[in-house]
Amino acid sequence: MTVILATGCGTRHPVDFSTEVKPILNKHCISCHGGVKQSGGFSVLFREEALGKTKSGHPAIIPGDPERSEFIRRLHSKDPKERMPYKNPPLNKEEIDILTRWVKQGAKWGEHWAYVSPKQPAPGKGIDVYVDEKLKEEHLKPAPEADKLTLLRRVSFDLTGLPPSDKMIAAFVADQSEKAYERVVDSLLASSHYGERWAAAWLDLARFADSKGYERDTKREFWRYRDWVIRAFNNDMPYDRFVTEQLAGDLLPEPTNDQIIATAFHRNTMSNDEGGTEDEEFRTAAIIDRVNTTMEVFQGTTIACVQCHSHPYDPFRFEDYYKLMAFLNNTRDEDTYGEHPRLRLYDSVGLRRVDTVISWIRQHGNTTAENNTKNFLRTLEPKIHAHDCDSYINGELADTKFLGIRHGGSCRLKQTPLNNRNHLLMMYWTGKDGGSIEIRLDSLKGPAIGKQALPQGRRVLDIPIQPVPGRHHLFFIFRNSSLGPLESVCGVEWFALREDLPGKGLPGYKPVETAFLNVVNNNPESVPVMVENPAEMFRPTRTFERGNWMVKGKLVTPDVPASLNHFPANAPRNRLGLAAWLVDKQNPLTARVMVNRFWEQLFGIGIVETQEDFGSQGFLPSHPALLDYLAYRFMYDDRWSMKSLLKEIVMSAAYRRDSHNTPELQQKDPANRFFARGPRFRLTAEEVRDQALVVGGLLSQKLYGPSVMPYQPEGIWQTVWSGEYWKLSEGGDQYRRAVYTYIKRTSPYPSIITFDGSSREVCLQRRIRTNTPLQALVTLNDPAFVEAARSLAGRMKAVGGNDAKACIRSGYKTAMLKDITPGKLDILEKLYNEALGKFRKEPEKAKAFLQAKENIQENPHLAALTVVANAIMNLDEFLSKS
Amino acid sequence: MSEKLIHEANEQAARFFSRRHFLRDCIGGLGATALGTMLGGCNLFSRSGDGLPQSLNPLAPHAPQFPARAKNVIYLHMAGAPSQLEMFDYKPELQKLHNQLCPQSLLEGKKFAFIRGVPKMLGPQAEFKQHGQSGAWVSDHLPHFASLVDEVSFLKAVQTDQFNHGPAQLFMHTGSARLGRPSIGAWVTYGLGTENSNLPGFVVLTSGGKTPDAGKSVWGSGFLPSVYQGVQCRSKGDPVLFLTDPNGMDRDLRYQSIHAINEVNKQEYETFKDPEILSRISQYELAYKMQISVPGVMDIADEPEYIHQLYGTQPGKESFANNCLLARKLVEKGVRFVQLFDWGWDAHGTDEGLSIDYGLRNKCREIDRPMSALLLDLKQRGLLDETLVVWGGEFGRTPMQENRDGKEMPFMGRDHHVEAFTMWMAGGGIRKGFTWGETDEIGFGAVKGKVAVHDIHATMLQQLGFDHEKLTYHFQGRPFRLTDVGGHVINEIIS
Repeated sequence: MTVILATGCGTRHPVDFSTEVKPILNKHCISCHGGVKQSGGFSVLFREEALGKTKSGHPAIIPGDPERSEFIRRLHSKDPKERMPYKNPPLNKEEIDILTRWVKQGAKWGEHWAYVSPKQPAPGKGIDVYVDEKLKEEHLKPAPEADKLTLLRRVSFDLTGLPPSDKMIAAFVADQSEKAYERVVDSLLASSHYGERWAAAWLDLARFADSKGYERDTKREFWRYRDWVIRAFNNDMPYDRFVTEQLAGDLLPEPTNDQIIATAFHRNTMSNDEGGTEDEEFRTAAIIDRVNTTMEVFQGTTIACVQCHSHPYDPFRFEDYYKLMAFLNNTRDEDTYGEHPRLRLYDSVGLRRVDTVISWIRQHGNTTAENNTKNFLRTLEPKIHAHDCDSYINGELADTKFLGIRHGGSCRLKQTPLNNRNHLLMMYWTGKDGGSIEIRLDSLKGPAIGKQALPQGRRVLDIPIQPVPGRHHLFFIFRNSSLGPLESVCGVEWFALREDLPGKGLPGYKPVETAFLNVVNNNPESVPVMVENPAEMFRPTRTFERGNWMVKGKLVTPDVPASLNHFPANAPRNRLGLAAWLVDKQNPLTARVMVNRFWEQLFGIGIVETQEDFGSQGFLPSHPALLDYLAYRFMYDDRWSMKSLLKEIVMSAAYRRDSHNTPELQQKDPANRFFARGPRFRLTAEEVRDQALVVGGLLSQKLYGPSVMPYQPEGIWQTVWSGEYWKLSEGGDQYRRAVYTYIKRTSPYPSIITFDGSSREVCLQRRIRTNTPLQALVTLNDPAFVEAARSLAGRMKAVGGNDAKACIRSGYKTAMLKDITPGKLDILEKLYNEALGKFRKEPEKAKAFLQAKENIQENPHLAALTVVANAIMNLDEFLSKS
Repeated sequence: MSEKLIHEANEQAARFFSRRHFLRDCIGGLGATALGTMLGGCNLFSRSGDGLPQSLNPLAPHAPQFPARAKNVIYLHMAGAPSQLEMFDYKPELQKLHNQLCPQSLLEGKKFAFIRGVPKMLGPQAEFKQHGQSGAWVSDHLPHFASLVDEVSFLKAVQTDQFNHGPAQLFMHTGSARLGRPSIGAWVTYGLGTENSNLPGFVVLTSGGKTPDAGKSVWGSGFLPSVYQGVQCRSKGDPVLFLTDPNGMDRDLRYQSIHAINEVNKQEYETFKDPEILSRISQYELAYKMQISVPGVMDIADEPEYIHQLYGTQPGKESFANNCLLARKLVEKGVRFVQLFDWGWDAHGTDEGLSIDYGLRNKCREIDRPMSALLLDLKQRGLLDETLVVWGGEFGRTPMQENRDGKEMPFMGRDHHVEAFTMWMAGGGIRKGFTWGETDEIGFGAVKGKVAVHDIHATMLQQLGFDHEKLTYHFQGRPFRLTDVGGHVINEIIS
C-alpha cells in the first residue's frame, strides 16, 4: 500500500514530543495502547515499548521511516478493521502530520517538562519580567496598582487569613513612604496569625482531623500536630526541613519531641474501629493512603492507579508503586484501637521518674542501654498487639481488638522474637481478682517460662520470663476458676519484651526498676506518631496482584521511580532517605509543586492550573519560565524559606494590581491566567468565619491548644456506636479561629463544609470554589453569623449613635476598610428605614431579634442596624478578597 | 434586566463551565449540546423580573445521553443490612438444617465479621407465602408489601466484596469502599441537574436515630464540586440547616434584606465586572426561594387523612414513614434524587432490638406499610413510571446463626454476608413482577443471575439515560466514573 504522506517532512521545525506528540498519544492512542491495555502488544507509554516488537512480530514504529511504520500506515487505512483509532473517528490531517514527521525525525522521546529539573534562570529577571513578557505576547495591558486599602485587605487575608487590625490600617494610611507596603508585608509575615492561615491550607493536604474516621469515628488527640504545623510556618521552618520532619522526624539523629510530633503527618490516615474489621486490611489501606498522599502533596503526582497497573499516561510502572510503598510500609502502627505508637508527653513528675531511671543507667550501663530505655519510655515501643495472636481455645479476639480468654483457655503468639529478653510486659485489665497467666514455649505442653497473677485493675504488668534465644511460639494460658463460663479472665491489648535494666543486683536497683514500671504505667498525654520497626520486626513489602492486598506478588525493596531524579547516593533506604530524595535539589517536582501551590493560594489559579496533576494529563504551565524561576529561587536563593518566597510574590506588581475586570479582559482572559488584573475571588471557609468574628469584635486571639467546639446546631452528630457528643466550648473558646474547630470526619462542621472545606478523610489538593444557596443561608442565618452581626451593630451604634447614616458608614468601613459609595449607602439606608419601621411597629420582634432582655426604646434602632450589619456581612465584596 | 446583563451572564456561564472543566471531558460527550441549551435558553426565574438566567445555575437541568426511562430516583437504604432470609429469600431446606452445625465446606476459605469456629445453621424465622401473579415469595413480616410484588423486580443474588458496614455502605453508594468518591446521588445530579431550582437536587432523609455507619460521605460529592452533595433535610429543627431566619426577622424583612444585598452586589458588578458576582446574586435569590418552598414541602401536616392512613405517618415525628411520604412530595416537586437511610437493621442477636427473632420483625413492621404506600402513591399519581425506586442494604445476612466471639448469643442473630442478598427495584422502566437471580438451597451462595454492586449502579444510570461508562468526571489526570472499571446493565430486569 502506498502511504500518502504529508508534504514537507523534515523541512519544518523539529516536532516537540511533550507538547505536540504526547497530547495526541494521550488523547487517541493510550487508552488501548498504554499502561492499562496493550492491545496488539503495542504500547506508547515508554519509548522501548513503542519501538519494541508487537504481537505481529514486528515493531510498529521504525524511527526515521514512516512509510514502513505500521503505526503511521494504520492511521491512513481505509479498512475499518485496521484503521486507528479503532472504532473511533480518524485523526485529523494536522495530527497525522505531526506523528508522521515525528517518526521521520527519529521518534525521539522527549521528557515531560515537569520531570526535568528547573534550570538556573537568566540573571536580572524577576516575577514581573516574566508576567509582562507574556502580557505583551497576548497583547494585554496590565492594570494599575490597586488602591491602598484594597491592597491592604488583600495582602492581610493572604498572609494571615484575617483582615488587618485597626492599628495596622491607621499606620498604613498614615505612612506615605515608598516602603509603606513592604513594612506591612513584613509585619504580616511576622504575625503569629500567619502560621494559622497557612496551616489551614496545609491541613487539607495532611488530611488532619480530630477523629479516627470510618464507622465509629471516635476522638483522636491530634491537635499537637496542628500546632506543630502552625509553629513551623510561624518560625519559617525551611520547606526541606518541613518535609523531612513530617515524613521522618523520628529517624533524625536524637530527635526532639517536636520532630517526632511532626511525623503525625502520616498518622492522619484514618483507622477503623468497626467491630469485625481486620486490622491488617486497614493498616494496608493507611499505607496506600500514605503512598498516594506523599506523591500528591510533594510531587503533584497521582499514582493511585499504579496500584493495579502501570500508569495509563505517565511513566510510572506498576512496581514503582510498591517500591515507594516499601519506604513507608515498615512502621509499627497497625490500625489498632489504641492508635499506637504514641509519643508520650510526661508531666514534670513523670519526667523526674524518667530522669531517675536514665541517670541510673548512665551510671551502670552503656549508651546503647541508655538509648534503648530512653526510646522505649518515649513510646513504649515496639509493642506486639493482641491481634497477632491465633490458635484460640475457649477465647477470642474480642471485638477484633483485645484478647478475651476464658478460664482455662489459651492462645498463641506466633514466632515471637524473644532473643534472650527476660521480661514480658502485658497491658491488661480485669474487674475480678484471682486470675493468672501462664506462658509456655513452643506448644501448649511446652516448658512454662513464666507465670504471674493478674490482680484486679488495669495496668502494664511486668512478667519475668526465662531467657530463650531466637524466635518461638508463645502460648498464653489464662485461668480464674471463680469466673462463670462466659466470662473472660481479662482483656489484653498488647505485649512488649524487655531486658533487665543494667546494674541488676546492685543496691538501689529495686527502686529504679519500680520507678521504671511506674513510668510505664503512667498515662501521660500522647499523640500518635511514626515509629520504625526494629530489625527483628521488619515487614517485607510485596506487590499486590491487580491491586488486591490479599494476593501478594513479588518482593520489592525501597526505591524511587526511574523517571524522576536518582535516589541520593548516601541516603538510607527508609523514610529519611525518601525525604532526602524529595528535597534533593535535583528533584524536578518538589519545589515547583510548592511554589505553584503558593501562587494558587494568592492568585486563585496556579501557574499550573491542575495543581494536583503535574503529569502529562495535567495542564501545561501558563508561564513555564516563571514557574522555574520561582522554583529555582525557592531552593537556591531563599534556601526553602516559605516567607521569603511569599514576600517576593506579594511584592510583585502582578500581585498588587487592581482587580477590576474589563470587557476586553473578560473576553481575552476570563480566568485571569495572564495576571493582567489583580486576584478577586471568594474567601476560604475559614476566612469567611474568621472575618465575621473579627468584624463583630468577637475573635479570640488565643493561639494553639486542643480543638474547640463553637456553636453547632443540634442533631449534626448522630454517629453509630459512639457516645460522643458536641460539647459547646466555653467563653472565648467559642470564638477561636476556624483552624481550631473540632473536625469529626463523618460529621464535619456544617459551615466549613458548605464553603467547600474538606472533611479531611483523604488528602485534598485543591478546593474547588462553588457558589451555592446553602452558603447564603449560612452567612444569613447561622446563629454564629447573626451573633457577629449583632455585635457589629453594637459597634456601629457606638460610633454613630442615633445617626443611622453615620452608623452605616462606620459599619461598612469596619467591614471593607474603605468608605462606602453614596449609591450603596442609599440602598443600605433604605433597608435600615424599612427595618426600623417594622421594628417600631412590632417592638417584640426587635427584642427577639436582639435577644434582648427587655423592651427598651433603643431596640428598634439597634435591631435595624443589625439587619444592615447582617446585609453588609453578606455582600459579595465582603465575602471576597479583591 | 438589561440586555447587557444577560449577555454578560451568558459569558459567565461559558466561563463557569470551562473553568471547572465540567465539560472538558464533557458529561460523556454531550457537552456541546448541554452548553448550547444553557446559552440558548435564558429562562428568567426572578419574580421581580430582575433575576438571572438559569444558565448560571450548575444544577440547571441537562438532557441525558439518550432518552431516559426514569427522571427521578428514590433510594431506600436499610443501613445495617436486613436479612433476606426473613424477608424475600425463602429457604425451606434451611429450616431442616436449623440448629445443626454448619458444614465445613461452607466455611473453608471464607471470612466473616464475627462468626468464629463452627456456627449452627439458623432456619428462617418467618412464614413465607407466594403472592401476586408473579408468585413471588414474601414473608409474613411484610403483609402490605406482599400485595405489591407484581410492581417490582427482585434481585436475589446481589453480591458485594465488603463485609463491614462502613466500607460496604461506601461501596454501595459511591462505587468504592474507600473514601473520596462522589455518591450516586451526586453523580446523578451532576449528570442531570434538577428540575426545581427552589429545592436542592439531591435530598437525604434519615431515620432510625442515626446516620449510616459510613457517615455523611455516603451522600458526599467526593471530587465533584460540593454543589452536588446531598442536602440532608431533617424532620426536627431546621428542615435544611440555617433555613429559618433568626427570631424577630420576618419573611418580608428577609426579602428586603436580600434585595438590598443584591442591589449592592449589582453596583459592585457594575464596577468590577466579575461574573462571579452575578452568580452570587442568583444564589441569594435561590436561597430566598428555598426558604419559601422547603418548609412547605417538608411539612406533611397538610396531607389528607387518607394519605396519613396509607403511609402510617405522624407529622412532626422522625420516622421512615414520614420520610417515605416526603420522598413522594420531593419527587413530585422535581427533586432529582431522594435518598432515604433507615438505621437499625444489624440483627446480630446482641440484644433484643438487633435480633432476628424480635428486632427484625419490628423493623419490618416499620417499613412495610410506608414503602408499600410509597409505591402505591407514586403509582396513583402517575409518578411511578418516571421514578426509579431502589430498595436494599449494604450486604445480606448469613444462613448461619451468629456465634460472636465463639459464644452463643442471647438472641437469634445472623452475621454479615456478602455472597448473596436481595434487593428490589420498581418503577422507572423496571420490569414488573419479575425475579432475577437465585441462591442455593440454604441461601448461602448465588447460583444464577449474580449481580454486582456496580451492576446496580450501571442499571440505575441506564434508566436515567446514561451509559455508565460515559458519565465521567476528569480528576487527577484521568476520567473517573461511578462504576470504576466494572458494571454491566442488568438487562433482564428492564421492561
